[in-house]
Amino acid sequence: MTWPVIQEEETPEAQHPFTEAWGMFRKNKSAVAALGLLALITFGAIFGPYLYPTDPFEMVWMPFSPPGQEGFLLGTDYLGRDLLAMIINGAKVSLMIGLSAAVMTVFIGVTVGALAGFYRGVVEEVLMRITEFFQVLPTLLFSMVLVALFGASLPMITFAIGIVSWTAVARITRSEFLRIRELEYVMASRASGASNLNLMFGVILPNALPPIIVQSALMVGSAILFEAGLSFLGLTDPNVVSWGQIIGSNRQYILDAGYTVTIPGVAIFVTVLAISLVGDGLNDALNPKLRQR
Amino acid sequence: MGILRTILLRVVYAILLLVAVLVLNFLLMHLAPGDVADTISQSMGGADQEILDEIRVSYGLDQPFIVQLGRYIANVAQFDLGYSFFYNQPVTKLILERLPATLLLVIAAQIAALIIGVVLGVISARKPNGLSNYVVTFLALFGYSAPVFWTGILLLITFSLNVHWFPVAGMRDVTIEGGFWVHFIDVARHLFLPAVTLGSIFLALYSRLTRASMMEVLGSDYVRTAKAKGLTSNQVVYKHALKNALSPVITLAGLQFSAVLSGAVLVEAVFSWPGLGTLAFQSIIARDTPTILGILFFSALVVIIGNLLTDLALRLVDPRVGGQK
Amino acid sequence: MKHILKGIVTGTAAAAVLATGAIAEDSPRKGGTLITVIATNVRNLNPAVQSGIVTGYPGAQLFAAPLRYDEDWTPQPYLAKSWDVSEDGLTVTLNLVENAVFHDGVPITSEDVAFSVETIKAHHPFKSMFAPVTSVDTPDEHTAVLTLSKPHPALMLAMSGQLMAIIPKHIYGDGQNPKTHPRNTENVVGSGPFKLVEYKSGEHVILERFDDFFIDGRPYLDKIVMRIITDPAARAIAYENGEIHMGAFESLPRIINRLKKVDNLTVTDEGYGGIGPLDWLAMNTTKGPLKDVRVRKAIAYAVDKNFIHKALMEGTASNSLTGIHPDSPFYNTNVEGYDLDLDKSRALLDEAGFPMKGDSRFNLTIDFGWPGVKPQVEYVKAALKKVGIAVEVRASADFPTWAARMGEMDYDMSWDTVFNWGDPVIGVHRTYSSSNIAKGVWSNTQGYANARVDELMQMAAVETDPAKRTALYAEFQEIIADELPVYHTNTLPYHTVYNDNVGNPPLGIWGTSTPIDMTYLKN
Repeated sequence: MTWPVIQEEETPEAQHPFTEAWGMFRKNKSAVAALGLLALITFGAIFGPYLYPTDPFEMVWMPFSPPGQEGFLLGTDYLGRDLLAMIINGAKVSLMIGLSAAVMTVFIGVTVGALAGFYRGVVEEVLMRITEFFQVLPTLLFSMVLVALFGASLPMITFAIGIVSWTAVARITRSEFLRIRELEYVMASRASGASNLNLMFGVILPNALPPIIVQSALMVGSAILFEAGLSFLGLTDPNVVSWGQIIGSNRQYILDAGYTVTIPGVAIFVTVLAISLVGDGLNDALNPKLRQR
Repeated sequence: MGILRTILLRVVYAILLLVAVLVLNFLLMHLAPGDVADTISQSMGGADQEILDEIRVSYGLDQPFIVQLGRYIANVAQFDLGYSFFYNQPVTKLILERLPATLLLVIAAQIAALIIGVVLGVISARKPNGLSNYVVTFLALFGYSAPVFWTGILLLITFSLNVHWFPVAGMRDVTIEGGFWVHFIDVARHLFLPAVTLGSIFLALYSRLTRASMMEVLGSDYVRTAKAKGLTSNQVVYKHALKNALSPVITLAGLQFSAVLSGAVLVEAVFSWPGLGTLAFQSIIARDTPTILGILFFSALVVIIGNLLTDLALRLVDPRVGGQK
Repeated sequence: MKHILKGIVTGTAAAAVLATGAIAEDSPRKGGTLITVIATNVRNLNPAVQSGIVTGYPGAQLFAAPLRYDEDWTPQPYLAKSWDVSEDGLTVTLNLVENAVFHDGVPITSEDVAFSVETIKAHHPFKSMFAPVTSVDTPDEHTAVLTLSKPHPALMLAMSGQLMAIIPKHIYGDGQNPKTHPRNTENVVGSGPFKLVEYKSGEHVILERFDDFFIDGRPYLDKIVMRIITDPAARAIAYENGEIHMGAFESLPRIINRLKKVDNLTVTDEGYGGIGPLDWLAMNTTKGPLKDVRVRKAIAYAVDKNFIHKALMEGTASNSLTGIHPDSPFYNTNVEGYDLDLDKSRALLDEAGFPMKGDSRFNLTIDFGWPGVKPQVEYVKAALKKVGIAVEVRASADFPTWAARMGEMDYDMSWDTVFNWGDPVIGVHRTYSSSNIAKGVWSNTQGYANARVDELMQMAAVETDPAKRTALYAEFQEIIADELPVYHTNTLPYHTVYNDNVGNPPLGIWGTSTPIDMTYLKN
């Protein structure tokens, strides 16, 4: 999914960009709160398994023990596994898939967009046709086919998500490059004999980054949702636990043990919401024209 | 450049794109381990090598890849997507039977999301710092951030199980008898929850973009001029600003066709909606190659047609779009 | 329901009168539309060329078989008003009812029976059903004589339910391949109590009463709607809301127990003995540690059946010890049951030469073919960890991936669901017969070979004396339970759900894969 990133003309700045941006970001209270929440979730994903060392695959109690009773904060699932342990361990997998798919997206998207926007002509034509080709593919269906055909391992799932999601980044990067390559300071660098590579990644890219950063942040969220969707349909690696997978495998118990579906759903929801809010804050902070409002 | 020529060029280009989609998908299915003969032999409770070979011959699987591909493209050009052994039907028939349900769902969801999204966007743009802005933002973000199948399950439990407002599954009640309006209302009742679920993902997109572009337009010179001329606030908002703010929203909506189809796969699974999504899922699990290829092809076709229609809609809303891409 | 198979040798029309008399207590109302549900998309309506319960339900309404069975495993007349099996068991004569017509009005004759047998022999996956039938003679329009190469007691069950659909020769005999015949899904001309109104893939099958059905006054219902709802939770809500009158083959314990508590619903596991659905843990006896029977026994002792029955199945499934369904008259309860015993399990593993090395003794993989049994697979992984066997669950996202692994015998353990399909000859032998050990063949994927087992099966297949047959199968089951090519854990808890409005729901041995011409709506 493409998030609407509102792009504006750049105006010269007096302050150091980072300080300025942070100052703006701080004004967006919900974004700051969301950032704090994300930090907490990340902390939980990294250190949680050490602080709460229960094995998420071990059957520790009777199945379907409701949350808060008999010593299990979030209750147990259909096998009597500790849901809290599953949520903690699932956080790692869900965030990892989100991050790595986003990295893949950014890598392909920026490369394609930068080459197209910088070289223009035939290169641009070919690359944009390829981009359009991937835009036309029905994303989830195509990923489902990939995972079904080539196995539901984490790398394959990540790849299947990344390969259908990079087009938005490519388009944004390209349009930024198209705009910036004509600016005076780029002309100046070009005239002073900078290499193409240097121009692309040393001069233009840093200035094109703001919308790309915003888009990439949002990509993490949509990749988490994407993985959850695949898991819901059963296209998942049964040897790891992810939030989406908890929902998928407990789906049939929704009527009588709703918490086994609600809790991982809330985890996904809160995380993606936090990411969206941070993305909002980043957009405000990095988008110069909005600052003047 | 004449408009006809533009359209013609775009059609030719769309066809090339479709061929590329066909080739890639065909290649993928070819690369995967195992083939449809395995599925068929399983459905027969096991088969010996002779029968397996026979199936492979009847499916043309014994031919070199390039021959198979060529045949397939030639067939598709004649609107023949092959025969599904799994469903015992020609794939084209199978898909055309399911397509209307999916289109109905997708279009209803998009229209709902667009209308509600634009209204919410306008409300929050007019009072950017008010409480309503926060409410709108949160409402919209809820749909975007929650997994769509999860939203669907929650709605299903709330409105079908707990209060019985809407039917649980399917697209219509076949026992109902009556005229057009009776059936119309019946389908609408079945459609409501799936369409709201699917639309909820896109609410955020449309409301936020509307808000942003409204704010931009409201701050622009000609709106200020209009205000200076003495037009009332409502007139300004609805006659001038909104009209100008709509075109980026429509552009964005046009870009979502692929995403809506993806969401539809999940929503159809939750509500047992008899569309392409449920067909796709079952075919993928059974690796019914002709059907999978057919659905991927049709989805691409829907996206491309959707994009073309978006272009047309844009021209209607904003005649300036004409020449540029 | 442990009755000895009755009426194998002869049957008369008198039995039919008895069978129909049994439901006379509350007089059936005629008319009405029965709304039912199917959990999987229907792909083929012709049971002569397509097996499976999803085809079985509409298939058995559209097409009549020569016989039907009551809930005591006794054959009853249906399209055949009587039948006769010769003394040597080598000829079976079917006397057809005389007024029977297909849905297009063409009379049903012995020619159609001969054609149907031929079609099923050639295109139905259960080759063992009619394999011994060498010819079908048609001395007159209403007499069909099946000649067999050897006695074949399994034939009786194979002539009932969905297994022997009598299809019209004048439709399917037009030279097209019956397996892919267009009339399998549209304009179906059948021989059964209901005819096809509409079939929409993924949405519904609608049938209506066939007025010229060969049993007077039947069927009772005017119409049957079969809705396709794949999500079990959605089906449950639909039952509760009264959107659906009846559904069969519900197998999720949680849903079953939930629906049992609903006031106007009846939920029962009666009526699945003929189909005989079993859950089991298959082990590849040709590979690695599992070659050793002691290792297989150790696994059986470590996997707690009690946990499976109580926690996973929540009391909805029955214990199952052998490859034959507990409802079958041939079931033998006197075999080793492998109650949980971790010490014995560990001792067996030590004895087999697999001591603990660090965290575990050795690694195994486990596969599963459909998502419904994922809990069992995950449980096996957790259970075997306790005795030092590290198990990796292998995902196979699509079916061919799993089928290929099984077919190639490239696996260690797999959780399977397999059906008995009436007589053991049809659905049981295939799993243990050494002649089925071959790549690409999707039975006996355990690679199990035991000469005595093969011999017992061959003898039982041709034994016409029910008592002797039972004894042969009893020994067969003892060996299977002892050698454990398959660890049998439980029946698949198929349940039929119907509300108070439904009279005489189909609870015979074939579940809904049987004509429901006697089912009615009370109001």
